[in-house]
Amino acid sequence: MLGLARKTDRAVAGRFVHDSFPMGHRLRDRSPFAAPKRQVKIPIVIVGGGMAGLNAAWHLDKRGFRDFVLLEMEPEAGGNSRWGENEISRFPWAAHYVPVPAKGESLARELFEELGLFRDGKWDDRALCFAPQERLFIYGRWQEGIEPENATPQEIAQYRRFNDKMAEFRATGEFTIPMERGAKPSPLDGMSMSDWLERERFDSATLRWYVNYACRDDYGVLAKNTSAWAGIQYFASREPEEKGPLTWPEGNGWIARRLLEKLGRYVRTGSVVYRVRRDGARLHVLTEQAEYIAEAVIFAAPTFLAPYLIEGAPRADGFQYSPWLTANLTLDRMPREKGLDLAWDNVIYDSPTLGYVNATHMSLATHVERTVWTFYWSLAEHSPEDARRLLLSKDWNYWKEAILSDLERAHPDIRQCVARIDIMRLGHAMARPAPGFMFSENRERWTKPLGRIFFANSDLSGFSIFEEAQYRGVTAAKEALGVVGRS
Amino acid sequence: MSVALFLSVFLIAACGLIYELIAGTLASYLLGDSVFQFSTIIGCYLFAMGIGSYLSRFLRRGLVARFVSTELMVGLVGGFSSSLLFLAFAYTDAFRLVLYVVVILVGTLVGLEIPLLMRILKERFQFRELVSHVLTFDYLGALGASLLFPILLVPKLGLVRSALLFGILNAGVALWSTYLFRGQLGGGYGLRVGCLLVLGVLGGGMVFADRISSAADNSLYADEVIFSRDTRYQRIVLTKWKDDLRLFLSSHLQFSSRDEYRYHEALVHPGLAALPGARRVLVVGGGDGLAVREILKYPAVESVTLVDLDPEMTQLFSRHPVLSALNQHSLTAPRVHVINADAFRWLDSNADRFDFIVADFPDPTSYSLGKLFTTTFYRLAAKHLSSGGLLVVQSTSPLFARQSYWCIVETVKQAGLRTYPYHVYVPSFGEWGFVIGSLGPYEPPSQLPGGLRFLSARNVGEMFVFPVDMQPVEAEPNRLNNQILVRYYEQEWKDIAR
Ligand SMILES: Cc1cc2nc3c(=O)[nH]c(=O)nc-3n(C[C@H](O)[C@H](O)[C@H](O)COP(=O)(O)OP(=O)(O)OC[C@H]3O[C@@H](n4cnc5c(N)ncnc54)[C@H](O)[C@@H]3O)c2cc1C
Repeated sequence: MLGLARKTDRAVAGRFVHDSFPMGHRLRDRSPFAAPKRQVKIPIVIVGGGMAGLNAAWHLDKRGFRDFVLLEMEPEAGGNSRWGENEISRFPWAAHYVPVPAKGESLARELFEELGLFRDGKWDDRALCFAPQERLFIYGRWQEGIEPENATPQEIAQYRRFNDKMAEFRATGEFTIPMERGAKPSPLDGMSMSDWLERERFDSATLRWYVNYACRDDYGVLAKNTSAWAGIQYFASREPEEKGPLTWPEGNGWIARRLLEKLGRYVRTGSVVYRVRRDGARLHVLTEQAEYIAEAVIFAAPTFLAPYLIEGAPRADGFQYSPWLTANLTLDRMPREKGLDLAWDNVIYDSPTLGYVNATHMSLATHVERTVWTFYWSLAEHSPEDARRLLLSKDWNYWKEAILSDLERAHPDIRQCVARIDIMRLGHAMARPAPGFMFSENRERWTKPLGRIFFANSDLSGFSIFEEAQYRGVTAAKEALGVVGRS
Repeated sequence: MSVALFLSVFLIAACGLIYELIAGTLASYLLGDSVFQFSTIIGCYLFAMGIGSYLSRFLRRGLVARFVSTELMVGLVGGFSSSLLFLAFAYTDAFRLVLYVVVILVGTLVGLEIPLLMRILKERFQFRELVSHVLTFDYLGALGASLLFPILLVPKLGLVRSALLFGILNAGVALWSTYLFRGQLGGGYGLRVGCLLVLGVLGGGMVFADRISSAADNSLYADEVIFSRDTRYQRIVLTKWKDDLRLFLSSHLQFSSRDEYRYHEALVHPGLAALPGARRVLVVGGGDGLAVREILKYPAVESVTLVDLDPEMTQLFSRHPVLSALNQHSLTAPRVHVINADAFRWLDSNADRFDFIVADFPDPTSYSLGKLFTTTFYRLAAKHLSSGGLLVVQSTSPLFARQSYWCIVETVKQAGLRTYPYHVYVPSFGEWGFVIGSLGPYEPPSQLPGGLRFLSARNVGEMFVFPVDMQPVEAEPNRLNNQILVRYYEQEWKDIAR
């Protein structure tokens, strides 16, 4: 009888958070900013406090170089590795994992060792993603892992052939992390990932879904708009690894947080760099708070901003970015489920979204009653411009409904569980490795300095992941130290 | 006609006695001390019947209608008595109050029945005959009920359904009476509708008996469910059959009162008796207080900390008369500190050290429970050991879940501890396994505390010998990022079930 009582959907609270486009538009339109109040002479200035900027700072500090500042426009540093916290858990706002670095990835290993993640030859078991790691909602139920099961023998043969192909690519040594170590110009960059699948006669629907999912998840782009080289990079740059990625409740925010503990004293948040002026060997970095007079600048803000901020900089043609939407959902109770336990990464087959990551997954607690889910959605179906327009034109209610309807397919009672949905809109979330971009002159020219300005954002690699951000940041820091006479 | 009349006397009497037996049995299950429960309940019941008989004099007119409605009330109150009592025990603190109110109510109503019936029948029989017949059938009914109850009703139907069944009989007698006495009744349409309604409600109760006292459990568990509660964390179910009390947590057997001493002596003494200097002991899991009971047998132990997730579990085993008698009031002993917290997080958030740590968690049936059997957990536990301290882990069955068992041993080893696996036979579980983890060398104890029922200094050592069918097998250690144990365990128990 109780079951007959009408279930009413609860009111869901929430809002847009961390909107950055108003400032982006001001920079793009070269709107006036207040003149700096004071002048500060300092040898090195880092512009942008994302992973690239923070790792540049990490390197400088490690080399014993202390005469620098890091300028970040947001109230908090971290960029795409920012995190949030509520009474239930910390949670990521975007980047949420780093695969266990292979032996050759010396930079990532060096940092992780320093942060205590790698001791006595062992990775910290509290940071290696707990089991169960991934699950997929397909054919009306959850299955373990995100490669679709229940495949036909032909499909299984295709999966095997696909994996063999990737192993071959891996063996060429051209697909490395960071990419610059091994990448060689390749005709694969001239075609799209779906064209490549076509050419190789991979026609299994689930395999195509899976590859498309990987492109959407890693680059925010459909397979048909992704350079085949970049698509293959995703699969061929790492050994298939059972250990599971490194992850934390706050995702890569954990790395940002730990770096900020060490480097916080160099960081000036709320400092929008609106101009970088070249004056002989001197560089003037202008914010409303201060004008920094520097010998070298590490430009770790997204590269597409450079032409708007740096006097005399060329256009950044070819740099395109996928818009993303992420949301953090506060759940007051767990949805009712039968069968498979909630995993860390939970994906719904054939959904336009990317599913959600459970923030309390990495908690040691054996019993969790409330949690936070981080919901990911790269608006890959549209062109970046259209998707950006859609992102800005629809209100919070629209996106809330879209998110809940998507989740409802796998969780019919989701509306009774969710108390709050905060949504972050990212107009230029990550670099798009469109066909032709990886080995273009447009991309490569920005990997070289402009006088004493060294570019460092992860987008220089053509796609954005933690290791690329770190590599670009550290490389720029080394070069900057060179010109200030401290290499 | 007269046979029919006396048959209804027989039934009424049987019903009355059944309700009394149900109340007595339930009270002994739930409160223990059956002599006390039965004496007081029989006393109250008979006294209440007296009240009913006395009150019958105030009923003057419309005797048949009164009789029928009394029957219906007995049927309702008696029929739902055991459901009501189970619910009262599970959800209120006023079980005793509800118990005696129900007993007195049913007693009073039953007390009304026979005087009313005799007055109704007095026209038809000679007084001498009437008294003789009514009382004969009354006592016969009592005999029938008292034989049926233990032999058939409790084992086959359970207390909830038995009560409902007899409620239905009462209501049936009521309906039947409207026909038997239709001459005296005149009309009686309304009464019949009432009878059908009550029959419907009781019948519905029978159908939904599962929900009422989670007799869903009854089909799952072989024995009578005497307590069932969904807490925030798990479902606690107690069953009882004769002197055997069993605890189930989320459908998994935790102990049987008949042989739990074997399990708990084996869990505690091989480790603790080898540590004559042990002062501080930690028990994680084990909210039933039975491991703590064993630990308290060491006068040198100064403090025992019990960390169990579920406050309802530790409260039940602190307060419940039967359960706290079973653990000898260990949870309320002055040396014992009960903490309700998630064991893993609790260990992670403090730096206390212990001479002996007992990890007595339910088997790794889910990824959540599996976390408590990982290298990470044992490494953390090892950090809380004082030098020379020991950890003991309940490690499932080395016979039924052989790979799971050796996986746990391997996991303790990978956490940097020396391992000393051993096993014991517990009839209700079968072969059961444990493993001692230590930082230094360990020797089984040569002396044990007095008063043990199973272990002796002579048989401790034997537990460390594994017969051929339980010998070590290859197993990966259980880590947070693979939880291989949960898979082993699921596979092995699936194979057993087949
Ligand atoms: C939704 C999403 C999920 C992701 N998930 C992962 C993941 O799981 N794993 C992974 O490895 N990578 C992930 N990434 C990629 C992520 O972008 C990189 O890991 C990394 O965080 C990029 O760092 P960055 O420093 O290169 O760029 P950003 O993080 O973009 O940093 C640029 C910084 O510059 C600041 N800035 C911009 N303009 C100015 C100005 N004018 N003045 C001052 N400061 C300025 C910005 O505020 C920002 O803090 C994800 C990205 C997104 C969008």
